[in-house]
Amino acid sequence: MSHIHIDVENVSFAYEKGKEILADVSFHASEKDSIGLIGANGVGKSTLLKLLVGLNLDFEGSVRVMDIPVEKRTLPQIRARIGYVFQDSDSQLFMSTAYEDIAFAPRNYGLPEDEVQKRVEQALQMTGIEYLKNKQIYKMSGGEKKLVSIATILSMTPDIILMDEPSIALDPRNRRNLIRILNSFEHLKIIASHDLDMILDTCERTILMAGGRIICDGKTEDILSDKKLLEENGLELPLCMQGRASV
Amino acid sequence: MSKIGNAIYEIHYMDTLAERDQWVNRIHPLVKFVLTIGYIMTVVSFQKYDVIGLAGMVVYPIAVFMLSELSFWDSIRRLRLVLPLVCFVGILNPFFDKNQVLIAGIQMSAGVLSMLTLIMKGVFSVLASYLLIATTSVEKLCYAFRLLHIPKAVVTQFMLTYRYITVLLGEANRITQAYALRAPNQKGVHFKVWGSLAGQLLLRSMDRAEDVYESMLLRGYQGDYRYMQERIALRWQDAVYFVFWAGLIVLFRLCPVIFLIGSLTGGIFA
Repeated sequence: MSHIHIDVENVSFAYEKGKEILADVSFHASEKDSIGLIGANGVGKSTLLKLLVGLNLDFEGSVRVMDIPVEKRTLPQIRARIGYVFQDSDSQLFMSTAYEDIAFAPRNYGLPEDEVQKRVEQALQMTGIEYLKNKQIYKMSGGEKKLVSIATILSMTPDIILMDEPSIALDPRNRRNLIRILNSFEHLKIIASHDLDMILDTCERTILMAGGRIICDGKTEDILSDKKLLEENGLELPLCMQGRASV
Repeated sequence: MSKIGNAIYEIHYMDTLAERDQWVNRIHPLVKFVLTIGYIMTVVSFQKYDVIGLAGMVVYPIAVFMLSELSFWDSIRRLRLVLPLVCFVGILNPFFDKNQVLIAGIQMSAGVLSMLTLIMKGVFSVLASYLLIATTSVEKLCYAFRLLHIPKAVVTQFMLTYRYITVLLGEANRITQAYALRAPNQKGVHFKVWGSLAGQLLLRSMDRAEDVYESMLLRGYQGDYRYMQERIALRWQDAVYFVFWAGLIVLFRLCPVIFLIGSLTGGIFA
C-alpha cells in the first residue's frame, strides 16, 4: 500500500439525529489518485471533505489518513499533511495581505522566517500571482482571493489536497491556470465541484454522490460521459460533451 | 456607499495607512506604543487649570503628523464621531466651577479653563492613539504587546477581534443591502424586522467565525501565532526617536516651555 492514502469505511454522519447527510460511505484513495467528487447540491460532498480533515468528528465508521485514524488527538498530525481549500475564500483568508495569509501556516509550523519567505514565494509563483504578494485581501477580486486561498495551502507543501469548488469565481484564464496548478500537483487530490469540465481535465477518477451515498466510483471518462447516470443524479453532461443544439 | 460600507472602508483605510513605507511607519512598534502610552499619561496628568503647560503638548501630534505625512484635516474628518464626544465631556464645567482665575494677565472663568484642559486632554489623547494605529499595523502592535509580556491569549483575542469586526460589518452590510433592495420606499430598517435581522446577523457571523477558525486550525493554529517575523530588530534610529520624544515630553511636563518662550520673546504670556 502506498505511503500517502486515505481510507474511508462505512462512514455515516448527521448534524441532527435522524437526518443523515452521509450514509455508509466507503472508498480508498491512494498516493497518485486525482479524484473528482461530484453530485447535485446538498448531497454531502463538502461534508465528506470536512470529515477527512476532522472538522466534524461525530461520525460513525472509520476515516484514516495515512493509517492515522481521524480523531481529536491526531488532528494536528493529520492537518499538517493536508491542504484544504474552502468553498468561500472569505472564510479562508483572514490576514491583512496575501503574504501574511500565505505565511500563516509555515509560521505556525515553526519554520524560520527565511524558509517562510521561500515557501510564500514558491506558492505565489506556482499560482502565478506574484503581483498580489503585498496586496491587501479586501482589495482583491473573487478570482484573486481564490488563487491566494490555493497559495495558502501550497505553502504548507501538503501531501494531500482537498478542494471544495475551487473553480468558483474564476474567469476562464484563471480557471485554466487552476487546472494547470492541479495537474502539476503529483500527490493525492480530491476535488469537489460542479464544474464537470474541470473535473474531466484534472481527475482520472470520479466519485458520484447522491443522497449522502456513493452511487458510482470509477474512471472519470466513463462516469462523465454517461448521460443517463448523470441526469438521474441531478447532473448533466460536461459542456464539452454537449452538442450546441442541446445547450 | 452605505454607512456600514463606509465603516468597512475606514477600517481598511487604516490598514492601508499602517502599511505605507514611511519613516515613522518603520519605527519599532514597541517604541511607538510605549511613547503613545507615555504621552497620553503625561497629557492627562496636567492640572485642570494648566492650559498653557498643556498647550505645549501639541508638539508631539503635530510633529508626528508631519513626519508620517498624514493629512491632518483628513484625520480630523475620520475622528469626527469621537471628537465631539471628547469635547462634550467638559461642557458642564463652566456651570459648576464659577471661580475666576488670572491667566496670562486675563481674568477668566475657572470652569471655562477646566473645560478647555479637559477638551485638550481628550483631543491630544485621541490624536496620539490615531497616529499610533495609522502608522503601525495591528500585527506589529500585537508583536509589541507580546514584547511587553501581555498574555498571548489576550493579544490573540485582540488581533482576531480586530480582524473579525470587518467580517461582522460585511455580514451586516449584505443583510441591509438585501433588505434595502426589496424595500425601496423605506428609510432604514422597519422595527418589525429588527429581531429577525439581528438574529440572522448573529447566526451568520457565528457561522463565518466558525469557518475562519476552522481555516486557522487547518493551517496549524494551536493557540499561538507569531504575529511578525521572528524579531523586529531595534535600530539606532528607534533609540534616538524614543530618547528624543521621551525627553521632550518630560521637558514639556516639567517646564512651562510655552510660558518660558513667551517670557523670552516678551509675548502675551510675559
